[in-house]
Amino acid sequence: MVLGLLQGVSELFPVSSLGHSVILPRLLGWNIHQNDPYFLTFLVATHLATAIVLLGFFRRDWVRIVRGLGRSLREREIAPDDVDAKLGWLLVVGTIPAGILGLLLEHKLRHIFASPRSAAFFLILNGFLLYGAELLRRRAPQTSSDDDARIARQVGWRGAFLVGAAQAIALVPGFSRSGATMGGGLIVGLSHKDAARFAFLLATPIIGAAAVLKLPELFGHQGNGVRGQALVGALCSAVTAYLAVRFLMRFFETNRLTPFAVYCVLAGAGALLYLVLS
Amino acid sequence: MPRHPALTALAVVAGIALIVLAIVYWAEPAGSLPSWIPGHQAGSGHHHVKHGIASFLVGLACLVYAWFATGGKRSAHARS
Repeated sequence: MVLGLLQGVSELFPVSSLGHSVILPRLLGWNIHQNDPYFLTFLVATHLATAIVLLGFFRRDWVRIVRGLGRSLREREIAPDDVDAKLGWLLVVGTIPAGILGLLLEHKLRHIFASPRSAAFFLILNGFLLYGAELLRRRAPQTSSDDDARIARQVGWRGAFLVGAAQAIALVPGFSRSGATMGGGLIVGLSHKDAARFAFLLATPIIGAAAVLKLPELFGHQGNGVRGQALVGALCSAVTAYLAVRFLMRFFETNRLTPFAVYCVLAGAGALLYLVLS
Repeated sequence: MPRHPALTALAVVAGIALIVLAIVYWAEPAGSLPSWIPGHQAGSGHHHVKHGIASFLVGLACLVYAWFATGGKRSAHARS
């Protein structure tokens, strides 16, 4: 339950869910390793729950986006005034590099950087990355009252590709996917609110696809004896993910990434100190 | 979308080739893959499913690019 609750919050907060799921069990003295098959199965269930929550939260947006994609494919062009189609293709362009890098590098990176010490170190770097994004933030004029229109206008194809590719950094435990995408969004000129919205829309297919790809492990022999815990974890994760996305969408209307940057540096430094001294 | 016939033709060829490659990854174990294809491991019975998905996605992206590059009713009307 604790891991499920934690996963739901940390997956969407820009503080690295993978980093927390590596560091926290060690700090609490739990005998869990992030590369254990049963733990990976557990993570699949919690990721699936998070993806379903995100899909549900932005369901009206996704319906419009999918219709926009279909419309542009039929017309064989993205009309300049078709915000939904443009946003949809920006999400596709952002998802492809993240998906490919994830598919090809996930296994290797997860094994290379599996230790709690490296996760704590990268959590500190994640804090600097978030703060750096705030410093490099480009303040573009906000020319439209519609969120999606602003995103579609501000994020170009290259920007969407780079922001999407930045998600791959989250394969290293300690770095945050949502932090990388929100930071990237700020750098290409989005407001905090729009950057968070774009990050959550971008996260949905990636988190969902990663979970669906590993579903056979959950329902195969690897899931034996873990499915009950995974279900409870997934339900807990769904509840906290819903609360987290609701909170963050309001939080970023008026706030910045700085508090999360400070948290990452302090939590990472504290964990690293504890792990080194113990 | 600006028209670049050579780039569009290249995208079509690359798209088809990558989708064929994806099918090869899914159908053949790593040991049976030609040695010049990334992922070849002599004697391995492992299927590179993820390589196949990555190849399929890039191939699909190339074909979608070609689809848009050769279409566009409004822009075609505007040009004529």
